[in-house]
Amino acid sequence: MHRDEIPAGTLYLLILKTLARSGELHGYEIANSIQRISEDVLQVEEGSLYPALQRMLIKRWVTAKWGTTAGNRRARYYQLTAAGRKQLAVEMSQFERVIGAVTRVIEAV
Amino acid sequence: MNWLREIARRLGMLVHRRQFDADLEEEMQLHLELRQQEHLESGMTADSARAAARRQFGNVTSLREKSHVAWGWEWFENLLQDMSYGLRMLRKNPGFTSVAVLTLALGIGANTAIFSVINGVLLNPLPYKNPQQLVVMRENDSLPNVMDIQRQARAFSEGGGINVQRMDYTGGTEPVQVRTGLVDAGFLETLGVQPMLGRIISLVEDTKGGPRLAVASYSFWQNFLGSDPHAVGKAIPLGGNTYTVIGVMPASFAPPAEHADLFVSIWAGDPGAAAQRDVHFMHTYWRLQIGVALAQAQAEMAAIDHRLAEQYPAEEKERKTQLVPLQEWLIGDVRSALLVLFGAVGLVLLIACANFASLLMAREVARHQELVIRSALGAGRGRLIRKTLTESALLSVLGGAAGLLLAQWGTRMLLALRPENLARLSGIHMDTRVLLFALLISVLTGVVFGMAPAWVAARGGVAEALNENGRRTTASAMGHRVRKILVTSELALALVLLVGAGLLIKGFSRLRSTNPGFNPANVMTMYLQLPPTRYREIPKQTQFRRELLARLNSLPGLQAAMVTDIPLGGNYVGHAFVIDGRPPVAVGGEPDVQTLSVMGDYFRVMQIPLRAGRDFTSLDRENQPLVAIVNEQMVRQFFPHENPIGARIHWARETEPFQWMTLIGVVGDVKHSGLDQPVDPAVYTTFPQSDEIWRSFMTLAIRTRDMSPGLVEEAKKQVWSLDSRIPVSDVNTMDQLMAVSLA
Repeated sequence: MHRDEIPAGTLYLLILKTLARSGELHGYEIANSIQRISEDVLQVEEGSLYPALQRMLIKRWVTAKWGTTAGNRRARYYQLTAAGRKQLAVEMSQFERVIGAVTRVIEAV
Repeated sequence: MNWLREIARRLGMLVHRRQFDADLEEEMQLHLELRQQEHLESGMTADSARAAARRQFGNVTSLREKSHVAWGWEWFENLLQDMSYGLRMLRKNPGFTSVAVLTLALGIGANTAIFSVINGVLLNPLPYKNPQQLVVMRENDSLPNVMDIQRQARAFSEGGGINVQRMDYTGGTEPVQVRTGLVDAGFLETLGVQPMLGRIISLVEDTKGGPRLAVASYSFWQNFLGSDPHAVGKAIPLGGNTYTVIGVMPASFAPPAEHADLFVSIWAGDPGAAAQRDVHFMHTYWRLQIGVALAQAQAEMAAIDHRLAEQYPAEEKERKTQLVPLQEWLIGDVRSALLVLFGAVGLVLLIACANFASLLMAREVARHQELVIRSALGAGRGRLIRKTLTESALLSVLGGAAGLLLAQWGTRMLLALRPENLARLSGIHMDTRVLLFALLISVLTGVVFGMAPAWVAARGGVAEALNENGRRTTASAMGHRVRKILVTSELALALVLLVGAGLLIKGFSRLRSTNPGFNPANVMTMYLQLPPTRYREIPKQTQFRRELLARLNSLPGLQAAMVTDIPLGGNYVGHAFVIDGRPPVAVGGEPDVQTLSVMGDYFRVMQIPLRAGRDFTSLDRENQPLVAIVNEQMVRQFFPHENPIGARIHWARETEPFQWMTLIGVVGDVKHSGLDQPVDPAVYTTFPQSDEIWRSFMTLAIRTRDMSPGLVEEAKKQVWSLDSRIPVSDVNTMDQLMAVSLA
């Protein structure tokens, strides 16, 4: 099965959207969620989630707290903040603008 | 306040670095294990499940680093890493390290030592209250004049003067002479330094017939009062009288230019001179009124000078007071000398730096392969430069630390030489500014001079360098060029220094080879002062002198004589004189000559050659015709076309009947005031024929076959066998005085 690298610059958007939809997730769940919803088309280099999450923590888009998984393991759970929600809207509109433009270009006769 | 939060966050991160690493590790580990579990459940073998999980996850190390970057401390971590790496390298190459550190230590040490002198002398403010208001009069003045100026001048808020005289202090185990500052009440007041204990002399006490009070310097308090916190009120024997200690000055206090152990009122210490308007013996300091410019004060002084001259035509004919800001007067020509010295040691530092850079460069070339491998493994050029710079900065800071030790030692050496014209010795020490200076030049040295090698090292492509044949490529060629530049500039700098040093040495050796006019080898000198209270008459002084010389000369292997002031000792007395048969000169316009009294075959002992006529004999004594011997300079200046032998002179101060002295001989010139100073015309007379009671001092000159250390003690014993309360001071060999004059 062929998997596509996620487009550059969209990792934040994907994480923000995933968290907005599901509330509290740890890193592994975020990676799985992105893969599942994209029907395995979008392949995150899974490790790269973690530096991205660190940067988002610093920017206060997300908060993190330690909790326990179903398998009774300690895991860091991430949750969207108000600033994160705002950022999600910004990233969405940016993304749509780019996609719209790209679509117009490739569909132009 | 965003940046504040940012700083707080970064600091928090720094403190919790370990926690952060552990959290990240745990999080990543969990991810890997869960993914592996998933693969296992889908039927993979354990090994391939783990491999797949890892492949999907990516490079853990690099991800960890990226996470660190996010927190903004990677530079710090790199620094720590580079430092520990650098330290390891330095430890592994002790030869290289010690050479580099030593090179820099010399350069930095010399600079820091000179800087600490500059800092103490030029940069630090004088240790007095509002020192920028203080001015000094170039000319000495008398107490009556000083008092008039204090009353009349509006430009000054206060002022006062000092004259340092040696006085006998007999309160210790041996009688000694202490330097006593005869002051008026204004002197200590003007400098504005609070006493450490007690108080200073007040205006009402500073008067004719006032109480005998003394303010001790810190060193006197330490040496003679046993650092007694209750020293105030103590009675001390000084100059044949008893004084009461009323105060002690702090250790940081010293008069601007004078050395004084004690301060007493002039009225108490020298009442005779205090009342004389024409005894200009006080060096005076004045404080400008706030808002008054120097020129204004100078103009007012000119008016006061004029008034005094009109009022006292006999004593104050030619007054021309010059005011100079104290700081400027103290530093004077030392400033340019210090700056030249600073320039010279700066050059030394540059040479040291060039050496340092060459050393680094040579090593970088040797380590070229290592660097190539590092950059092949992905180290960026910036990172490589940083690593090399960290190493050179480490070296230079080590060098700086060693240099600081060197500087401390060097400064102590400098101070031990006691350069006489460096007025503010006490201000010289290591302070924060000096330490900062040393740190700054160390780090700058390391970074600036480590830059070239680092840059050269990080240059050059990986591919060609990895190729064994490519070793002699861009990097080493560049290195070659830079090293050439370094060596060339080093040579140029060294040449400049050499020329400078050569000029100095030439001047020095010229001075060194100057004939002082006497033979300084194996001559011991010491200074004696007969207490004026007990030796009030000339015959009594003569009797002491004659007996002392007799006793000393009865000792085997030595020959002793005496003179008022020894050559190169820094003192002499001048007298105006008149030559018999010459056209009369206006009163006050008579020429001045150096006047020295001698006794006991002085010229033979000093080996000053007799050029014409005869030497003094024991018959040239009291109640005999007055005779004098002159030096060759006197003949050149005053008897250019005639035979001086048989000519007659008398001192200008005398009133009729004149005490005519007949010139009986001419001796060779002596460099009395310093090897680099011109010879003054001089007149020698004999002590027994002197009529100046105040000249109760003398300097013994003792020539021996060999300088035995017991000589000084033996001589002192002879002095004290005659009078146990006579202080002996300034014990020097003539060679020592020569050395001081050379320095």
